[in-house]
Amino acid sequence: MINLTIDGKALQVKKGKTILEAALENGIHIPHLCYHPAIKAIGSCRICVVEVKPGPPRPQPACTTPVAEGMEVITQSERLQDLRRELVKFILVNHPLDCPWCDKAGECLLQDLTHELGIDVVDYEAVKVPPHIDYESRLIERYATRCVTCGRCVRVCRDRVGASAINFENRGYFTELGCGHVPLECEFCGTCIDICPVGALINKLFKYTARSWELTKTKTVCPYCGGGCNYEVHTKNGRIHRVRSQGSLLLCGRGRFGFGVVEAPERLHQPLIKKDGQLVEAPWDEALDYAARGLKEVIDNAGPEALYGIGSPRATNEANYLFQKFIRAGLGHNNLDSPARYNFARALAGIAAVFGTAQVSGVALESVKKGVYQSPWEVQEEAKGSGFPFVLGNTQHLSHADVILVIGADVTPEMPTYGWRIMDALKNENFRLVVANPRKTKFDRYANLKLRYQPGSERLLLIGLMEAVLEAQPGYTPHLEAAGFEDFKKTLLKTSDNATAVADLFLLIGQTCNKGSALYPIAEKNNSRGVCDVGVMPNYLPGYQSLAEDGGAFAKLWGKPVSEKPGVTLGEMLDQLENNEPEAPRALYVLGGDLVRLLPNRARTERLLQKVRFMVVQDAFLTDTARLADVVLPVAIHAELEGTYTSTDGRLGCLQAALSPNGTRPDWQIITELSQRLGYPMKYGSATAIFAEMAQLMPIWAGIREGHRWPHKKISVSLQGKFVPFPTEISIPGEGKYTLIVGKTLAHSGSYTTHAHGSQTIMPGAALKINPADAQVLKVQEGEPVKISSNQGEITVPIAMTVELPRGVVFLADHFSDTPANLLTSNSNLCRVQLQKG
Amino acid sequence: MIYPLIKGLATTLKHCVSKPITLQYPEEKRQVYPRFRGHPELQVDEDGRLKCVACTLCMTVCPSRAITKITPAEGPNHEKYPAEFVIDLTRCIFCGFCQEACPKGAIALNNKYELAQYDKRVLIYDLEKLRAKA
Ligand code: SF4
Ligand code: SF4
Ligand code: SF4
Ligand code: SF4
Ligand code: SF4
Ligand code: FES
Repeated sequence: MINLTIDGKALQVKKGKTILEAALENGIHIPHLCYHPAIKAIGSCRICVVEVKPGPPRPQPACTTPVAEGMEVITQSERLQDLRRELVKFILVNHPLDCPWCDKAGECLLQDLTHELGIDVVDYEAVKVPPHIDYESRLIERYATRCVTCGRCVRVCRDRVGASAINFENRGYFTELGCGHVPLECEFCGTCIDICPVGALINKLFKYTARSWELTKTKTVCPYCGGGCNYEVHTKNGRIHRVRSQGSLLLCGRGRFGFGVVEAPERLHQPLIKKDGQLVEAPWDEALDYAARGLKEVIDNAGPEALYGIGSPRATNEANYLFQKFIRAGLGHNNLDSPARYNFARALAGIAAVFGTAQVSGVALESVKKGVYQSPWEVQEEAKGSGFPFVLGNTQHLSHADVILVIGADVTPEMPTYGWRIMDALKNENFRLVVANPRKTKFDRYANLKLRYQPGSERLLLIGLMEAVLEAQPGYTPHLEAAGFEDFKKTLLKTSDNATAVADLFLLIGQTCNKGSALYPIAEKNNSRGVCDVGVMPNYLPGYQSLAEDGGAFAKLWGKPVSEKPGVTLGEMLDQLENNEPEAPRALYVLGGDLVRLLPNRARTERLLQKVRFMVVQDAFLTDTARLADVVLPVAIHAELEGTYTSTDGRLGCLQAALSPNGTRPDWQIITELSQRLGYPMKYGSATAIFAEMAQLMPIWAGIREGHRWPHKKISVSLQGKFVPFPTEISIPGEGKYTLIVGKTLAHSGSYTTHAHGSQTIMPGAALKINPADAQVLKVQEGEPVKISSNQGEITVPIAMTVELPRGVVFLADHFSDTPANLLTSNSNLCRVQLQKG
Repeated sequence: MIYPLIKGLATTLKHCVSKPITLQYPEEKRQVYPRFRGHPELQVDEDGRLKCVACTLCMTVCPSRAITKITPAEGPNHEKYPAEFVIDLTRCIFCGFCQEACPKGAIALNNKYELAQYDKRVLIYDLEKLRAKA
């Protein structure tokens, strides 16, 4: 701690802070312009000058001068104000009087400075700089005339986003922000727009739609990926005009530009019911009655087990909790699952195989009433925990890691939050980044080691890495308590899935006592983790509690016994349908998630779902799955919702509604309505009441509240693992010369954002990414169509040549409904395909 | 005794022949001072285009919330203009704040004071009614 005085006020601040940081923390205002807390200070504008004693006789920039013991700082004096005034006048010499139509007006730092320093005339003249304005770039307009060359955008794009898409051109007085005299081609995250202190970078979706002071700001959570970014939606007259993240300002393009989903013209606002083979609009009561009647008929004829439930990794924790409660307590079985089975739940299962199931002790139910969205469980001194949740990392700690090994992930599109943390970690010079991927990805640029492997052969690579560790250090023993190590060493070479292999590797080299040493799985959807946490799984109760042992507490609160028999997974359920087994479900209740679009092998899924006698789907859009349904119930989404999501690292994000649901209803209300009609009434006043019940049943959530993650940091962890062998044979289904990888892009989140104008501007359609040499062999030019055929189906898409892909490997994004990539796949996101000029 | 009577009569006679003060309203209109504050109007430039850039400062400053709607839009040359502009004259208190706040001199109070109507709806002025006649 360092003692200093600022304007006579004695302060104690941490060593290493700058004068500006110390002042801002203590509520002392120092005018500044180029400084922003999210980026490194460079001291270029000099508006933050202060007098420092002891020190040189000239004023010092507060943003780059570190505090020192006994320092006396003066922030306001006639001389300082004069200096600042002249500096701002220099900026104003060439600044246009655009304020009346500049979107920044009202929140513009230059306006504030001009006002604060009392500048009414600029008594300088200078040559006019030509007004360069870029109207052409997508989503972002650049007004060089308004730029104050503070470099904030350049720094945030380079150091935090990692895109380095913009930089200064020319010198001195003629310095101008640019990207090489062509329209901007970048990640379109829009962070530069929000960090710009003036209106030099303009969000085209926001342009001219509202003035900054007219907006109502509501804090909520991004509904796209599992990063769980908190942001504010800015609304006026019941419409969202922009979203913005306070603090770091970082958001990805989906979050920032994808809010148009709410207003998409394709949204459903009225329930649909099937009449004579056609889905027609019906009032809510009629649709709910119809749905209940259909489900009841199946239950009466074939028993409650004939109704299978599919939860949603997009829906809130509350909706998913209520959904599983309806199936478990209302119908008395465990036949439910969610599409997260194909990604996040699979990763969890692999990690759980090695590190065991979740256990927690030493937490106590508090009798005092807690605030909303807070666990009633208190973490006590002796609290202990073990099992897989404790090896899942805290995103914020990722930047403390010494080494990050990225396996198979294209980090930025799949999980931008991890990407930002890797950028932070790169600031540490001892940090090493290893990127393993069949494709060239963004982080190759920063990687110390790049490993290129054949698609699908992750496991062989992991074995190689483990062998390398063992060979490099004979007598090596894992840091964690690990069972079966000797056997594993022997079988390593001779020897169900990638997640287990990664977990084994982590058991071998992980050092969980160090910050950031953890596994970081990727959650594709906003609540992929939440849907698993709250028990939408055939084999776990909420909080990963055992069906056989922990059912008692649930039965007590729910007033119904909980079946101990585990249900079947989503995949098994589809197999049952395929084989016409007697246990195969006759009715499906789908809480969301477009199975037809998202599961591999589209034709099969479609065929199997048609076998189901009655299907109820809750969704915001008439998805391909909803088209097969007998009843479609439109749900509230995005800023229309209240409730919570859990991010990939277990952090609780609380949603607040900013818009009215406009004819739709939140998922949880629909579930209670249906449950009521089926004879199991569940009554809740709001999402918070559901949260309270859910949290009471989940001791593992002890200490959780808004913005905090579970497991709680005060729980002392005892981790043990056992090495689990995994098969090494790899086989990619199908025949053909090319391996197709079906994957994600940064512009979109599933098929959801294809309904958002902003995201569609960044990426309007699919293109097959292919190595130029392969394209040459096929004799197709950039943008020309090729026919991709696998043994499941065929589609035609234009190509985009890129050296990101090695020869023989092609990549297709799976967001678009007109080119459904899962028409080609059979059991995973990989398959062999034939290509033909189309 | 008679003298005051004659004096009074003289005054009466004098006024009989002098110019009357009463205006024959509505046939005759009262001339007002140039700074008289009538109702707000949207100004146009030499080419007849609205000067307003839809900055909404007038709407923000209006103490009686008389300016009820300004819908901004983008023109072909990226200029900002009001696609809709509505002032509810039944609420306007003719304070002139809007005129003062406008950075473009695009809204100004005119000299009109004849605003009585049988139907209040007539006093909700849209862009066309607000456009100052050249
Ligand atoms: S950047 Fe600020 S000062 Fe410049 S025109 Fe925009 S609002 Fe006005
Ligand atoms: S949008 Fe993001 S990636 Fe593009 S220039 Fe701005 S900060 Fe860089
Ligand atoms: S565009 Fe904005 S953030 Fe970038 S240098 Fe100019 S003023 Fe600074
Ligand atoms: S999509 Fe993910 S990374 Fe992007 S803003 Fe939303 S939560 Fe954050
Ligand atoms: S004159 Fe006053 S009350 Fe009338 S519109 Fe202007 S600001 Fe509002
Ligand atoms: S804010 Fe310190 S020099 Fe710009």
